[in-house]
Amino acid sequence: MRATHPHTESSVTRDGLRLGYEVFGDGETTVLLLPTWTIIHSRFWKFQVPYLSRHFRVITYDGPGNGRSDRSTDPERYSADSYAEDAVAVLDACQVERVVAVGLSLGAAYGLTLATHHPERVAGLVLMGPALPLTPPTPERAAIARTYLEPYPPDVQGWGKYNVAYWRDHFEDFAEFFFNQCFNEPHSTKPVEDSVGWALEGGGADVLEAEGRARPASRAAAEEMLAGLGCPLLVIHGTEDLIHPHSTGVEAARLGQGSLLSMGGSGHLPNVRDPVAVNLALKAFVDEVAS
Amino acid sequence: MDRDGVEIYYEVHGDAAPTLLLIPPAPITHSQIFKAQVPHLARHFRVVTFDARGNGKSGRSTDKYLHSRAANVKDAVAVMDATSTERAVLVAHCHANWWAIELIDSHPDRVVGWVAIDPGVPYLGKPQPHWVDTAQTFDQILDNPQGWELFNRHVITNDHRRWVEFFFGSQLVEPHSTKQLEDAVGWALESTGEVLVAGEEGADLDPPSRAEFEAMVRAVEVPVLVIHGTEDVCQAVEKGVALASATNGDLLVIEGAGHLTLARDPVRVNRAITGFVNGIEGENMRRHTWTRGLDRQPKALYVSSPIGLGHARRDIAVAKELQKLRPDLHIDWLAQDPVTRVLDAEGESIHPASEFLASESAHFVEKTTEHDLHAFQALREMDEILVANFMVFQEVVEEGLYDLIIADEAWEIDHFWHENPELKRGSHVWFTDFVGYLPMPSGGEREAYVAADYNAEMIEHIARFPRVRDQALFVGTPDDIVPESFGMDLPKIKDWTREHFGFPGYITGFVPPDPADFGGIREELGFADGEHVVVVTVGGSGVGRALLEKIISAYPLAKSELPDLRMIVVAGPRIDPDSLPEYPGLEIRGYVPQLYRHLSVCDLAVVQGGLTTCMELTAARRPFLYFPLRNHFEQNYHVRHRLDRYGAGKYMDYVENDAESIAGSIVTEVGRDVDYAPVETQGAARAAQMVAHLI
Repeated sequence: MRATHPHTESSVTRDGLRLGYEVFGDGETTVLLLPTWTIIHSRFWKFQVPYLSRHFRVITYDGPGNGRSDRSTDPERYSADSYAEDAVAVLDACQVERVVAVGLSLGAAYGLTLATHHPERVAGLVLMGPALPLTPPTPERAAIARTYLEPYPPDVQGWGKYNVAYWRDHFEDFAEFFFNQCFNEPHSTKPVEDSVGWALEGGGADVLEAEGRARPASRAAAEEMLAGLGCPLLVIHGTEDLIHPHSTGVEAARLGQGSLLSMGGSGHLPNVRDPVAVNLALKAFVDEVAS
Repeated sequence: MDRDGVEIYYEVHGDAAPTLLLIPPAPITHSQIFKAQVPHLARHFRVVTFDARGNGKSGRSTDKYLHSRAANVKDAVAVMDATSTERAVLVAHCHANWWAIELIDSHPDRVVGWVAIDPGVPYLGKPQPHWVDTAQTFDQILDNPQGWELFNRHVITNDHRRWVEFFFGSQLVEPHSTKQLEDAVGWALESTGEVLVAGEEGADLDPPSRAEFEAMVRAVEVPVLVIHGTEDVCQAVEKGVALASATNGDLLVIEGAGHLTLARDPVRVNRAITGFVNGIEGENMRRHTWTRGLDRQPKALYVSSPIGLGHARRDIAVAKELQKLRPDLHIDWLAQDPVTRVLDAEGESIHPASEFLASESAHFVEKTTEHDLHAFQALREMDEILVANFMVFQEVVEEGLYDLIIADEAWEIDHFWHENPELKRGSHVWFTDFVGYLPMPSGGEREAYVAADYNAEMIEHIARFPRVRDQALFVGTPDDIVPESFGMDLPKIKDWTREHFGFPGYITGFVPPDPADFGGIREELGFADGEHVVVVTVGGSGVGRALLEKIISAYPLAKSELPDLRMIVVAGPRIDPDSLPEYPGLEIRGYVPQLYRHLSVCDLAVVQGGLTTCMELTAARRPFLYFPLRNHFEQNYHVRHRLDRYGAGKYMDYVENDAESIAGSIVTEVGRDVDYAPVETQGAARAAQMVAHLI
């Protein structure tokens, strides 16, 4: 059973693609919880929504390719620019002018783009475990870029499974591997099960392949966006994050002149694995922005 | 600073932006009203305090025109100018808030925020009815005035004390406010009734109309925080509520508090001010780490009472035993000199915030006169240091994620966690070797009353919030508890303590040497065969000089009766050995390494009445003379009771004994075989076992 239910459950169509969204609570301030890598959908905010919606209006929506949104295989729909326009379409549909935008991983890149292209819509920005190219990736992760469109070897292990052909053959196995990397904290069986389940609901290998062809922002562009940010910034980053290193968050906070909450011992999704600490930090930040 | 012929005294504390200007409501009081705020605020901000005209170290005038609001506002601005303070957050109490609002109105560019504590401002809310009533009778000569009628020109002029005692007695509605009342009355009496009357008249000169005043309030653009007690008898809480809403300010209502929230609930008020000012400043680039629960190494914070060195030794013994049970336990110490010297020598980890602690040891030294330390009063007068140190402690535990806080007679922690129970972080273990403040006869009825009041507050704290102390340990056995009562209508100390404490037995810092090793140790220390060695020591502080001189005066007499007498006098680090009288054969040493080994094999020790040294001698089964500090309730009652139970030591009154009688006692006692009851061993290990389950 869900802990809280949306008072509005609807969708908006932008450029022919339907985006499903939900609205909770009716506080004066609105918090927009952005989608992340479309391997999962908006339910990954399930620990934030009930608490935040007691204090604020909360909007969640699914990005293209998962949840209640259309599955698109057009790489253009998966660029950060396109995600930012999706977010604006959802806000317009909800008749919300300004929000505190919260993005995790790739969602952080979407949030930063939204705040850059539409500064009038973003009163504050939270980046969690941001997928921004500010510091070098781990060697395993760097290797993916070279191999993920190649055929995979029969004895493929570890990050080698981050491979489009492997996804087509063994999508669930990949999802299990990937979310075990995301949730490297001990005792994380439930978050892994949840995430694999959400992955299986989505558009699978076709969607992820299309998403992978969207061009990510360059380091210079990311730095420029952070330096030009016109709103308060909070960065939250797990010190043990295996997907995007903690140093990325430190750099993002420095460039964006924001506050930094380092989560000692946390992996890539502290909002799922350490929900209480994240909820309290989000509430405090939104309160500060609102005042 | 001279301003138009009136001397204005100011002080500057701390140096971090922004500047806070604290404005006291004179002439009824002066800048000391903020004494519980200044040390804390100055660690975070630059703080400027001043005595407004008419009290403290500022000039006095009986001319009402020199006490106008305009004059006071000009003083505040002049203090800002003199301290090169371009802009400040104003923090004002009571009617000084009227000055604050006129300062904001006349100098909007000089003010960045305003904290209005228990604000006394006109028109907003309603005045307390007694102010309305007494305005009618203020100038009349009343026959037998009572109660609020004492607010009267003639009473205040002729019987100033009567008015201020009534006034502050009415304001301090909270139980157990004796110290705050003494302070407030004392500060008021530093001025005179004539000045106070002039101040009252000056405050009302040239009042604005309601419309003018309300417009001034509405025009306030800086962030505002109002703090107000619901039981404020001077300024009704409705005033604060109305001020907050008219200025769109933050409001902190303190339920149950009277007019002196800043003195009576200093922790809450301090945190509110700091939080408010930080909000104004909009700190950039804050850095914070939160560590997952299971990733945290078990951590304890040990807070050892810095008054004397006795606690340090037993606390180190307990810490080492705890780490035997939990080898992964990290222990930080929040400690001050002289405890830090012992900790340093042991390689213990001293928390860097220790440097912010105000010195309790120096306070006690300052309160000591010739072998006389009124320990209870000294503790009461330490109230300001305790608030300051608690604020340091609280920041340390909020940042440090400690699992366990061990407070060995760290009064501030236990007291303020009971006063502010929502601030508790981590399990709390309370250690003490005595329970109950006992009045000294010299303090008379007043001290009996005040000591009972302190005891009552402690008993109420524990009854209301049993969750604050997770474990309370009495260092000793139930037999060591004095057979006294906490005071009139209060329980017997022994009954209550048995119910509320665990008893690990006595905890020694050292293991006394085996009697079989005596000869070897004496030889090593250079004690000759047949020599009667007397060691005289008064601890590490400078307070022992008078006793040393008195004992030295007995040396020639004792030596003439006992030719093989050898006396070693240990002056300690704070007394210059060369400044003590000299006699042929008398040895005076500055510092003796391993003093406890000298004490444990000497033929007689002469010491003060401190528990630790006396118990070390008891455990080592040495004869000793002890001279409790006069008026020191712990040494004269609690320690003496415990030593009597062991049958240990010879009690000596400092005043009644002279050179002759001391020499006589030395000759009788030296080398005597003793029949003391044995001192418990393994106390530290038992104590560790009693608290290990909390980690």
